Amino acid sequence: MGNFLTTLAISASGMKAQAGRIRHLSENIANADTPGYHRKSTTFEADMLRGRETGMVRAGPVNLDQRTLTRIYEPGHPLADDSGHYDGSNVDLVVEIADAREAQRSYEANLKMFDQARQMSQSLLEILRR
Amino acid sequence: MEIRTSVAAQQYAATRLATSPKAESGGTSGLTKLASDFAATLQAGETTAKAAMTGNADPHSLVMALAQTELAVETAVTVRDKVVEAYQEILRMPV
Repeated sequence: MGNFLTTLAISASGMKAQAGRIRHLSENIANADTPGYHRKSTTFEADMLRGRETGMVRAGPVNLDQRTLTRIYEPGHPLADDSGHYDGSNVDLVVEIADAREAQRSYEANLKMFDQARQMSQSLLEILRR
Repeated sequence: MEIRTSVAAQQYAATRLATSPKAESGGTSGLTKLASDFAATLQAGETTAKAAMTGNADPHSLVMALAQTELAVETAVTVRDKVVEAYQEILRMPV
């Protein structure tokens, strides 16, 4: 039963990592109009225990996108400089939506694996019950 | 063919060695380990459920711990049923 238990734990770690990713994406979308906001992107890394890979995944440190911020022309804005521009965010909504869809698919895949392991273990035990 | 009593006794003594239980058979330690593993899985499930109720654990950990507990309990119950069934089968044997 050890492998099934480990599969459940690994799938749960994948779902947890994707949940963290979708959280950062929602932060990006919420701050799409915030002046000076840099888009956050989630990194993933293999989980290590005493120097060995456990097979699980975890969300690593958050990366701030260093692309140039969009210049927005709005002379009446309090942050506007002499030319009437101010720095907006570098969030691209289309990219965020695509990334969110990817996170969703990844989450579903992990969920499927979770369910698969459970079904396999249950059908194994079903043999003993007969 | 004549079977002498002394030969029969000798053969019986020889087979007794093979059927007697060994002093350090791994059965007990294996069962103990299994039981403690089962208890540990159950304990982890309870701890995670408590943590989730107080808001200290995320739902993924809760679902994972509960699924693991379910699997462990189902395994234990199925094996127990099988063992009890076999025991009753032996008890029903006409002696």
